[in-house]
Order: sequence, then structure tokens, then C-alpha cells
Amino acid sequence: MNNLYLKQAIRGIKSNPSRTILTTLGIMIGIGTVILVLSAGEGFKSYINAQVEAFGSNSIIIQTSVPASTKARSSSGIGSNEPQSSANNAVPITTLKVRDVEDIKNVSNVKNSYGASVGQQTVTYKNVSKSSFIFGASAARFDIDKGVIANGRGFVDQEDKALAQVAVLGNKIATDLFGNEDPLNKFVRIGNYNFQVIGVYEPTGSLDPTNDGSEIVIPVTTLQKKIQGIDYLIYIVAELQDNSKADATALDIIDVLRRNHYITDPVKDDFKVQTQQESLATFETILKAITFLLIAIASISLIVGGVGVMNIMYVIVTERIGEIGLKKALGARNRDILYEFLIEAILLTIIGGVIGIMGGAFFAFIVSKIAQGYGLDWAFIVPPWGVAISVSVSAIIGIIFGVFPAQNAAHLNPIDALNKE
Amino acid sequence: MLIELKNIIKNYDNGGVITRVLQNINLEVDKGEFIAIMGPSGSGKSTLMHTIGFLDRPTSGDYFFDGENTKDFTDDELAKIRNEQVGFVFQSFNLLPRTTVFDNVMLPLLYSENKEGHDRRVKDALESVDLGERMSFMSNQISGGQKQRVAIARALVCDPKVIFADEPTGNLDSKSGGTVMHILDELNKEGRTIILVTHDINVARHAKRIVAIRDGEIVKDEKVAESERMHSKRSED
Repeated sequence: MNNLYLKQAIRGIKSNPSRTILTTLGIMIGIGTVILVLSAGEGFKSYINAQVEAFGSNSIIIQTSVPASTKARSSSGIGSNEPQSSANNAVPITTLKVRDVEDIKNVSNVKNSYGASVGQQTVTYKNVSKSSFIFGASAARFDIDKGVIANGRGFVDQEDKALAQVAVLGNKIATDLFGNEDPLNKFVRIGNYNFQVIGVYEPTGSLDPTNDGSEIVIPVTTLQKKIQGIDYLIYIVAELQDNSKADATALDIIDVLRRNHYITDPVKDDFKVQTQQESLATFETILKAITFLLIAIASISLIVGGVGVMNIMYVIVTERIGEIGLKKALGARNRDILYEFLIEAILLTIIGGVIGIMGGAFFAFIVSKIAQGYGLDWAFIVPPWGVAISVSVSAIIGIIFGVFPAQNAAHLNPIDALNKE
Repeated sequence: MLIELKNIIKNYDNGGVITRVLQNINLEVDKGEFIAIMGPSGSGKSTLMHTIGFLDRPTSGDYFFDGENTKDFTDDELAKIRNEQVGFVFQSFNLLPRTTVFDNVMLPLLYSENKEGHDRRVKDALESVDLGERMSFMSNQISGGQKQRVAIARALVCDPKVIFADEPTGNLDSKSGGTVMHILDELNKEGRTIILVTHDINVARHAKRIVAIRDGEIVKDEKVAESERMHSKRSED
């Protein structure tokens, strides 16, 4: 029986293929957009995951942060009570110290740790000058960070303690400053000091300006004492032995820092401890919100497409009114006619949906190729659940917008329908 | 008694203006009869046939079919009767376009509750109208006479008690028309009840009884003498 409805519906659709395509254009664009958004979202997620991996996926980041209590006072309670990074704030938090790094190293499950400060400086080699992020870090960074030194070496603890003027360059700044020259053992000027280049990083495949190859890493003590004139750190990275215990370790680190900073009231925390899972979770929440918004916009196209299908279904019912009369004269029940037209409407929207899925996937593929062309770790992923949902949504649109025209057809009086032909 | 109409009235309401198309029709049809309903255009003969054929409901009156009053039948029950008990042959054939002869004849079976032996029944029906060789042709690839024979096969395929033919030769040349009438004659000889609507006296004379209708009323209802009946040949000139 179902086969009959399908056969009749296919015959109907085949009778005017170009109209079928035009009718389903709205559905195609809507579904295509949904697939593009979902697929690009997945691609972006794969890129972010790769970035987090680069940081060391089994690590915890400790940043300075304006205490919630201070913020509440200064901003009269506007905004959330989440601690904010002091990097965005006029008042620097000066309490994070090298001593904290040493104590964090002793926390159980912490394998290694380094402290870091960041500044922006003009870097000069011969007559070429560039503004660059300068990362001051302790030597452990080279063990923890996934960045690979392609040429030369990282610095060691002794160099850090001795305020050595040595630098490891990102691949991009190295090319910008040195062109085809080998930078190794040459001197660049950072601030008022000359630094010897001891290593150059491999390309990173990142867009992040702090990690895209335009950054320079020098010993943290050298940065603090010689360039910035400070004794505090901006952030600390702790590498874990067992990532599954990250949450417990984060709590232990919080305890250590509160003790070191003489904090008893959590509201006065001047730091923020974030596991990589938390960073990912935050990112995914944002991504979900953006995805949701874009899909909401795309669904307008789906509704417009559905109305288009409904409109054409009314036209088709009118066109085939004689056929409906004939079928009724031969014994078709109202529901036979209803199902035939409903299935035709569903078939129309599913055809549109499938073409939309292919189109959306095609554009997502192009986006991924463009991103990869920029050297990003951007995977081309069409989520199967997205495809499943798109097909279902297409079918549901077919039902919703097909049911009124189909009912119109089903309830025609057989002789009126026959005579109207 | 196969069909019994009692005081059938049919009105059409055209935006408040009521036209009475059938006025108090009383008619009885026995099994195996061959009836021609005649009348000028606008007389109500088609409306009468559509009412007897369950394509339209009367405004009032009782219609007994095979002993059952069909007055309060639901749409589904009427669909079942149209599918199983009656077959229609229309003036303009009404075949599905872009569809084979075979599938056209299959159509009523698709709506039938009986799921057995569909292919065999379609073949038998087509062979009975001498179109066994044309089954895979598309409906637009055959002549008018052949189209009407396909329509007859389609009317026969569910083995109905009555066949309704509305001006079945109206769109055909006399030769093809003769063939169609011959088939209807043969079906009647086999015991099938035939009700024919026509305004052509030569066609009507194939029937055993002529009912004349004018202004929605039966004005004449008489048997055709055997000597006056048109006895068709396989093809008529």
C-alpha cells in the first residue's frame, strides 16, 4: 500500500522536475546553511582542540585575576561575579610569584610547572623592526609546551637565573627579521638589550597572535628584571601526570595559592585556576550559542521554503483535480488521496534537504580547504547527527506544509473533481 | 433487485440560487439489465448516473443498493462500493497520463482491500478487451478506441456488479464506437448489469430498456422490443 503512495508521488514529481527543484530552493538553502554552520562549527572545534593540544592538553593554567570583591566595589555590581583576567584591567595584580611556581611543582599529580610574563616590545635586527609579543617563561616551558624547536635549542634554568639575554623566535618573526639568513647565534635588539637567538620554532598552524609564529620566548627573569622592571608573573602553567584527576589537582593548587597569598575568603581570590577541560567547556558553550543563533537564522529560510512548498502543493492539487476525481471514482478513499499528496510534499522537501546537505557540505569543504590553506588545523567534518536531523526536519516541514493542500485534495467531492478537469 | 431509487431529489446551490436537477426520481434496476438513460443536455441524465454510481450524494430520498440503504454511508464506505461494486467508463477515457496501460488498469486494485493476484487480474481484464499485446504501452501511445477499451478493462478489473458508461462512444469514430458497444453487449450477455448514458438513439438501442429523462424527471421508461434492438457486430459501419 505504501508503495502505491510512493509510486504516485514519484510520478507527480517526475512530471515537472524543474519546478520540483525551484520549489525546494528555500529548503535547500535552509538545510544547506544548517549543515554549513554545523560542519564549520565542528571544523572550528577541531582547530580549537588542536590549539589546546599545543598548550598541553593535560595542563592547568593559573592566571592573575581581579578579585570579585574589588570588582563589585569598583563597578557598582554591574556584570558577573566571575573573576576577570587582570590583563584586561587597569590595576595589575602583582601577587603571583616564582615562589608559587615552586610550590605548585610540589602539589601531588603535578609533573612540572612554569611561570610566565608577557609583554609587547619592538624587536630590531639590522634595520628591520617588528612589534612582537615577548613571552618570558621559565625553562620548563620547553618540556611542557608542545611547540617544537626546529632549529637550535631552548634555554635552560641556569640561563634564566643568570638573566641571560637569549631568545627563541617564532618562525614568522624569524622570517620577518632575517629573511633567508640563518638567525641562529645572531643578535636581535629587544628594548634596550641585545638578545642572542638560540632557537627557532616550527610553524604552529594557529591564528592566535600569541602563538602564530610571531612571538619570541625569553627567560622570564630576564623579561621581569631587565625589560619590565617587575617581580610578578602573569600566568603559570602546570603539567599533570594524570589528567583524569585534573579537578582535584586544581583544588589543591587553589589551596596552595590561597595559603601563599593569605586569602581566607574565596571572593578575594586574585587568581583563576582553569583546567583544559574547563577552557574547552567554556569555548564549547560559546560555540553552541553561536551555532544556535545561526541555525535560528537559517530556520527562517526553512519556514519560507516550507511556505513555498505549500504554495506549489496547492497548485499541484488544482492541476490534478481531474486525476483526484478519477481516483476517487475508482475507489480511492479520502486518506489514500491525503497520503499521496502528503508523501509527495515530504518527498519534495526531502529532495530539497538532501541537495541542501550536499551543498552545505560542499561549502564546508571549501571553508576547510581555505582554512587549511592558511595553515590551520581545520578538519572537514559533516556531523552525521546533523545530517539525520536535517533530513528529519525536511520531512517534518513537508508534513506541516503539505497537510493543508493534501486535506483540500482528500475532501474533494469525486464528481466535482471529475467535472472540473 | 440490485438498485432501487425512492424519491431521489438532487439540488444544486449556486450562491443561494437553488437549482433542482433531479425531481423525485423512482427507479428500479434488476441484476443483468442493460439500461440506456437518454435525454437532452441539461436534462439531469448525467447527474442521475453520478448519483446511482455513488459519485454524488442525493439531496434527499433513499437509495437501496443490493438491499442496503446507502443514505448514511460514510465517505469510506462509498469509496469501497465504488471500488468493488461499480465500474465507470467515461466519455473522455480519463486514463492517467505518463502511465502504462497495465498500470492504468491496476489503479483500482491498488485501492482495493483484496491484495491477491493483481497482475493476473489486470492481464485477464486487458485480454478480455483484446489489448493483451498493448500492456506495456504508455496511455498516450494508443488510439482513442483502444483508450476506451483500456477504460473498460479498468472498470472490469475489480469484477463489479454494475458498469456505468457515460457517453462511452462520444469521443470515438463509428468503428471504434461499434467495438466498444460490442464489448458492452458481450459483458451484458455474461450477466453484468450495464447502465449507459447517451443522447444517441443508435447507441441507446443496444440496451434492453430505455429511460428518458427531461427536466429532472423520468418521462418514459420502456423495454426495447427484441426486434428493434441493435445487435452489434465486432465492428460496426
